Amino acid sequence: MLRPMRTVVILGTLVALAVVGCATATKTTIGTGDPVAKAGAPETVAVNAEALSLHAQRIPSLFPEGSLTDKSKAKPDIWQKWPEFQAAAKNLENRAATLRDQAVAKDGTAVTATVQTFGRDACGTCHTPFRVPPPQQQPAQPRS
Amino acid sequence: MRNWRVKSTVALASVVALALASSATGQSTAKLWTGDPVADRQRLMKLNGASWADAQAKLKAGNAEAVAVNAETMALIATQIVTLFPQGSLTDKSKAKPEIWQKWPEFEEAVKNFGSQAEKLRDAARTKDLAATEAVAKEFGRQACGTCHTPFRVPPPQQQPTR
Repeated sequence: MLRPMRTVVILGTLVALAVVGCATATKTTIGTGDPVAKAGAPETVAVNAEALSLHAQRIPSLFPEGSLTDKSKAKPDIWQKWPEFQAAAKNLENRAATLRDQAVAKDGTAVTATVQTFGRDACGTCHTPFRVPPPQQQPAQPRS
Repeated sequence: MRNWRVKSTVALASVVALALASSATGQSTAKLWTGDPVADRQRLMKLNGASWADAQAKLKAGNAEAVAVNAETMALIATQIVTLFPQGSLTDKSKAKPEIWQKWPEFEEAVKNFGSQAEKLRDAARTKDLAATEAVAKEFGRQACGTCHTPFRVPPPQQQPTR
């Protein structure tokens, strides 16, 4: 009975995170259909930032207790440090909203500055403590 | 009188301390929802329109699988729409029709339908089947957007019926 529910939760989590990843990817084309059109037009970033913030709001509900399977890259620390995890998701939500507001204001300098630190200050505050890093980010194993 | 002054000083100091703490930790204070439902829903619909435009561009390029994230975004947007139309949120900036509140169950149903259609588009895209995804997309404007926009939104000028 619990199994289909877990599958749905895991799939939902993966899709939601894929959306977040897509919205932050440098080649994202949402809103213009053409990444070149985004160059020098900070206001076009607003929809991407809106999407990030909207998805961030949903993140904690996609990590119910017991949703850790072998397909998941989530660390058990999520549930051991739940308030910190919630705060990290909220941080992403708020930073994305900041980026959106800067984009709406057409403040290119502020948008560029926020984007430059977004990976570390927004994605990183959750991924670093709470996600098993992908292979290329794994620390090298000492040779025996 | 003195008590009031002490309270004011404490309140002011708390606000300043919170602002400083926020600044020192680099915490962002911007919020997803601004408290202005008309502005919030118009921004959300802008994201919706951009997601749909992007999905169409991807289909045109023959990339069905990539449409999934756009459809996911639209499905997520659908879960937020109803709460962004509280009673009395009809201003001169809004294109919402009063029918929304007069026929609230129908409005809720239309929003639910939009969410289901977006999920249908997402699921088709995930199969990487271009023809199947295009088939859902072909009807999306009428069956997803239209079921809400036609009865509940004042049409933009180019769609106004000619006299």
